[in-house]
Amino acid sequence: MAVIRDVMPSFDLLQPNSADEARNILAQRGSDAWVLAGGLDSFDWLKDRIKRPKVVVDLSGVDELRGIRVKSDGVEIGAMTTLTEVAQNPVIRENYGVLADAASMVASPQIRNQGTIGGNLSQDTRCWYYRAGWPCYRAGGNICYADTPEGRNREHAILGADRCVAVNPSDTAPAFIVLDAKFVIRSRKDERVIDAEDYFIGPDVDITRLHVLQPGELFTAVRIPFTWASSRFYFEKIRDRNVWDFPLLNVASAMFVSNGRIDRVRIAVNAAAARPLRLKSVERAVRGMPPDAATGEMAGKRAVQGAVPLQFNAYKIPLMRNLVKRAIGGVEEAKWA
Amino acid sequence: MPESKDANLAPNAQVFGVGRKLIGKDYPTPDLYAKVTGRAKYAEDFHAPGMLFCKLLLSPVPHGRVKHLDASEARAMPGVKAILMPDDLPPPADAVTDNGTVIKANPKGERALTMEPVYQGEPVLAVAAVDELTAANAIEKIQIEFEPLPFVLDPLETLRPGGPNARLDGNIWIKPAPAGNQTPAPHLGQLKWSEADFAAARDGQLPMGKTPDQWTYGDLDAGFNRAAVVLDETFVTPDTSHQTLETRSAMAYWQNGKVYMHTGTQSTAQTVPAIARWLKVDPSKVVLISEYTGGGFGSKVTAGISLIIPALLAKKTGTPVMMRISREEETFIGRARPSLMGRMKVGFSNEGRIVALDMFVLSNNGPYDAQGDAGAAGRIVSLLYQPEAMRWRGATILTNTPPRSAQSSPGGLQGIMIIEPIIAKAARRLALDQVAIRRINCPEGKAPFGPSVDGTRPHATSAFLKQALDRGAEQFQWKERVARTPKRIGSKARGVGVSLSCFVGGTIGFDGLLVIRPNGRVSFQSGIGNLGTESVIDVHRAGAEVLGVSWDKCDVVWGNSEHNLPFTCVSGGSQTTHAMTRAAHATAMDARKKLQEIAAKTLGGAPEEYEVANERVYRKGDGRDLTFAEAAQRAIQLGGIYDGHESAPDLHRLTKASVAALAGQGLVAAAKDTYPRDGFTFSYVASFAEVEVDVETGKYNVVDFLAYADVGSVIHPRSIGGQILGRSVLGMGHALGQKWVYDPHYGAMLSTRFYQNKPPTILDVPVNMRWGALDIPDPETPVGARGIGEPPVGGGCASILNALSDALGDEIFRRAPVNADTVLTSFEAGRPMQHPLMAYI
Amino acid sequence: MGLIQWATDPWGLSVPIHIAWFLIWVALIAGIAFLIGHVVYVRYFAKPRQFTADPPTPSETEIPERVARHSIAARTFHWIMAASMLVLLFTAFLPKAGVQFDWVTYHWIAGTVLTASILFHVFHASFWLDFGSIWPDRIDMKDAWHRTRAFFGRPAPLPRRFAKYPLENKLYHGAIMIVGTAVIATGICMMFRIRTIFFTRDPYLLSDMTWGTIYVLHGLAGVGLIALIIVHIYFGVRPEKQPITKSMIFGWMSREFYLDEHDPARWIVSRQQASRTPVASRSED
Repeated sequence: MAVIRDVMPSFDLLQPNSADEARNILAQRGSDAWVLAGGLDSFDWLKDRIKRPKVVVDLSGVDELRGIRVKSDGVEIGAMTTLTEVAQNPVIRENYGVLADAASMVASPQIRNQGTIGGNLSQDTRCWYYRAGWPCYRAGGNICYADTPEGRNREHAILGADRCVAVNPSDTAPAFIVLDAKFVIRSRKDERVIDAEDYFIGPDVDITRLHVLQPGELFTAVRIPFTWASSRFYFEKIRDRNVWDFPLLNVASAMFVSNGRIDRVRIAVNAAAARPLRLKSVERAVRGMPPDAATGEMAGKRAVQGAVPLQFNAYKIPLMRNLVKRAIGGVEEAKWA
Repeated sequence: MPESKDANLAPNAQVFGVGRKLIGKDYPTPDLYAKVTGRAKYAEDFHAPGMLFCKLLLSPVPHGRVKHLDASEARAMPGVKAILMPDDLPPPADAVTDNGTVIKANPKGERALTMEPVYQGEPVLAVAAVDELTAANAIEKIQIEFEPLPFVLDPLETLRPGGPNARLDGNIWIKPAPAGNQTPAPHLGQLKWSEADFAAARDGQLPMGKTPDQWTYGDLDAGFNRAAVVLDETFVTPDTSHQTLETRSAMAYWQNGKVYMHTGTQSTAQTVPAIARWLKVDPSKVVLISEYTGGGFGSKVTAGISLIIPALLAKKTGTPVMMRISREEETFIGRARPSLMGRMKVGFSNEGRIVALDMFVLSNNGPYDAQGDAGAAGRIVSLLYQPEAMRWRGATILTNTPPRSAQSSPGGLQGIMIIEPIIAKAARRLALDQVAIRRINCPEGKAPFGPSVDGTRPHATSAFLKQALDRGAEQFQWKERVARTPKRIGSKARGVGVSLSCFVGGTIGFDGLLVIRPNGRVSFQSGIGNLGTESVIDVHRAGAEVLGVSWDKCDVVWGNSEHNLPFTCVSGGSQTTHAMTRAAHATAMDARKKLQEIAAKTLGGAPEEYEVANERVYRKGDGRDLTFAEAAQRAIQLGGIYDGHESAPDLHRLTKASVAALAGQGLVAAAKDTYPRDGFTFSYVASFAEVEVDVETGKYNVVDFLAYADVGSVIHPRSIGGQILGRSVLGMGHALGQKWVYDPHYGAMLSTRFYQNKPPTILDVPVNMRWGALDIPDPETPVGARGIGEPPVGGGCASILNALSDALGDEIFRRAPVNADTVLTSFEAGRPMQHPLMAYI
Repeated sequence: MGLIQWATDPWGLSVPIHIAWFLIWVALIAGIAFLIGHVVYVRYFAKPRQFTADPPTPSETEIPERVARHSIAARTFHWIMAASMLVLLFTAFLPKAGVQFDWVTYHWIAGTVLTASILFHVFHASFWLDFGSIWPDRIDMKDAWHRTRAFFGRPAPLPRRFAKYPLENKLYHGAIMIVGTAVIATGICMMFRIRTIFFTRDPYLLSDMTWGTIYVLHGLAGVGLIALIIVHIYFGVRPEKQPITKSMIFGWMSREFYLDEHDPARWIVSRQQASRTPVASRSED
């Protein structure tokens, strides 16, 4: 059978008006259903006829999944809230600058207007072999084309690879991890709330998915506690182009400093592995140290321990080292004469 | 950094066209409102009743043969109307030039469909159905199997002894000598180098075996002997797709034996004969409608051969057929610039003068017709840097990658990319200022270029690049920026770069056509493609200026070959502004002469006693006059040459046909550009860039850019500014990240989408880029204007490369694009870490 | 529903990539169905086992109280193999059944252990054990024929007692050998596709089609093993087979069991041998 791309095949489009209705549909249709949020990941798959769901469940009409609500113990962001709304929301900017920064660096303005928080966190990898529809591990096959002697893997993983070397492309994921956010996942039967970092999984656990969301489940909201609100944040994303690009690597950190020493800290990177990595050993190592360049150097070196470069992505090791260094020790702003 | 808030530095503050009414002045072009409001209709926007849609089956293999094909299931699907197979295509047809030379068709050249694809993504067959979904579903039902054949992506791999060839019969084209008035078709040959050739090159250096083409002038050895510094460097430029925003979609239908074709093109006039040749019909049976074209850059010079697919399907089904080309399909069939693998040995005197230059290039040509980039690179380098002695050697190697075509500054960009970093390095070695070393090598006046032809080297019409370089350096505050310290703060390093740039800027010998209508309005018939440069309209301002008619009395007719258009140049090689302002001038002079004659015949006296101005022809002194409206009515009465019933014998047959069709509609003026020209026309640009590099991440930003052009007289400042900066950005893309990524095992392209092949975005270039133009008329053309599309491209790229090496040193990159990974790893290691000869990463 | 999962390779070729995973359930159900069928058969339909007239009893003193059956080396091999096999099966199929964990490393290490233990076994059995004892001989075949006829109520002479291994045991060994060889051979090839300590990775060692075939064979052999191992464990725990199971643990079986089930002429046991490595005699007809 010949292959053709770029023409969307037909499917049933269901447009629920409420989260309950959406959950019922998802529960009924199970793995036949594809959840459509902003569509920026979905439409690629659908147009290229690689993923062929029978039913597409469009959540754009579910208003209760939208919006940013301040609660007594934190802020809740509906999964269908757009990245633009998150980036511009005053409460987020005030309390969770790291998230506002991360959201404002996703892709391009048009994509941020359409793309949602839930979608940004649940999107699939951009490994070009996988996205081309090649039958790799992630697609259910038995090979990783990127990790072959001649495979093109400049944008692939340096950590946590297991057969598959794809990376998670989300910019907001590390921000949510450092904010200790909880993701609310509902099925028809129950609701589970999981830590941001536990939402993501590597190929060692499941080589075909980047997260734990099961068929029939609906990602409804992100809850951010006030724990890390207004702490010292750092976010940096390195990409080839200044707009409309996935990260080559990004880093997010949150820290409380008292008496010139790091009191509490969380740090995470993404695009280094198939899941955003919280760098717990770095967190442990820098606690009690001053947030300066020397601590940063040490943190950076520790962060990349165990990194395994592929043929074309060795640059990610110094890049990650330096980004972690800055996230801990800060960066000198250049003021040119 | 210096801000451009200073009034002296404000963009476009220059005043152009002093003493002229239209030339050098801004105006809203008549296509503007439709474009910005979205009402402009591109090919895809045309829908005919009952129209079918077609989709293509593309080859998954980089080289192979269809060994099994069963489309019965697809054919049987409801809604599927026809399948077009390679066998349904007319055979390749010979082309006949205007002087009767027959260019024999290449039987192994590109066709619209093929059973032996020579690159991944090449179309094999097309299905027409009631809608795209049905057509796509039908393609999925086609059983097709390919017998894989040897393939090669890398020119060096095929040159190795025993290396695979892109085509079964070889890896290069061999052009037999013309015989009489026939240009025979090229045939395939094989070029292989020896193991010794490969062994002779150090790691990272381009091996140099024998090449089919070479030329030389001056005493190379003597030059190198007396050089103070000799550099021998390898540099590899990227393959880049043209990536026009409008893909080569086409819609066609047949009516009364004529084919009506809607598609984008770089020439309304010359695409008609191309379509006729591809479809094997008479040009009179072709109607091309192309009012708007979403970019060409060389990829749509006469549109693309793929347009015959909907035309043939429309014929087969008796129904209009639309072929919408997707972005991925455009990446495969939409043309690309060949990468050049270059090695250059350059000898510099103590003063920085290039005394000897030995240039060696391999062009990665794709599988089809040989492109001229390798040769153009040599000629442009010889013109732009005026080496005292030079040798050029080159080979154009076939690979199983998408077909190439000229892309903005074909060869020029690559040549400039290869030499500019060497000049920058030499300046550092010789402790010379970067502007100074370029100034000393700059072409000036009737500068010679290339090898001798019949004992003398050809020369340019003019070059004022030194002035452009000086003005640009002044406006960019080059000296201040160079002197500024520190160069590095924290992890940020700054660097400034300058580059020379040039490309061809004009041809001669085309026709113009206008009608002064009985209502007094002037219709300019424009055969130019509306590909976004505005030359389709702009050039006629030169005619209106000569006629002394106000612009609001002028209409430009364009975009439909049924609207009686003159023989016009293609908009490629930046020739349009030059060629067609000359034709417009000639035509306006013809109209003037006819007005004078009509006035003399009507009002008495001799024609030369009459003046033409303010939409009148009047006798000097006594004020007797005719308005244009009266003159047009009079022309119709007089007939003959005045209203188009006769036409000048030297006009092209296409123009003559248009003149005949317009006969009787008013005063019809048509003329061929027969103005003399001494030399070949080129335009020049001096480009300046500043970058800020983060040495901890490798990421860099272009923080400032200025291009100062020597383009002769400026016709339309806003348009020229758009061209200078827009094409600079096209060049910048080659430094900043535009690329192809290929999987070498399967010969399959991985970067088929924008987010993967990374054309530059608006946020990758400085907010306040600036441009300037000398506005010195070229002495060899009556209007003084030269073309500008392509000349800025090389400078846009090379000024950034040079700014990078200014910031980081010479040991960072040996190929482009230069990305964060290249910068970071090389900076850490202190030597270039990316192998220049490894492509497609 | 196909038994093989197909995919389109980058050149548009349809290639197998692995078995259809529902075959796991097919094998599981087949194994359990056999088990139930056998239980029911033995409980309600099976006739008591009968052997041909007692063979000439060797002198009691020649038969030790404990008849040595499996050497310590053989037993160690068996249990290592069993453990690695179970690890292999669970690591292979639990993730497919929805239990997610980092399985590949355990899987290839267990595979390496299995391969090494089997290499040891082949070597050991070829030079130290009675290599022939595990292969069906002519008596086995003749008796099998007689037993089959008897099963269907046709007249047939009673079968003889077994040599060291009953025919079923020998057939099982044969099956596991074939399936095991397939799974190991394909598994070794597959180790070229992942990072292990053994080979330089080269996923392009073979063509897409060959790789696909290897993955399918590995999968088929793997699910085959599910059924085979269910059957094996089932017999291992059946009451009447427990002396055999115990012999795999302790190395010996009782004299009574030996004399009940085995033909001393076909499996010659002596006191001397009992003290040394038990070497079964060649069964000669």
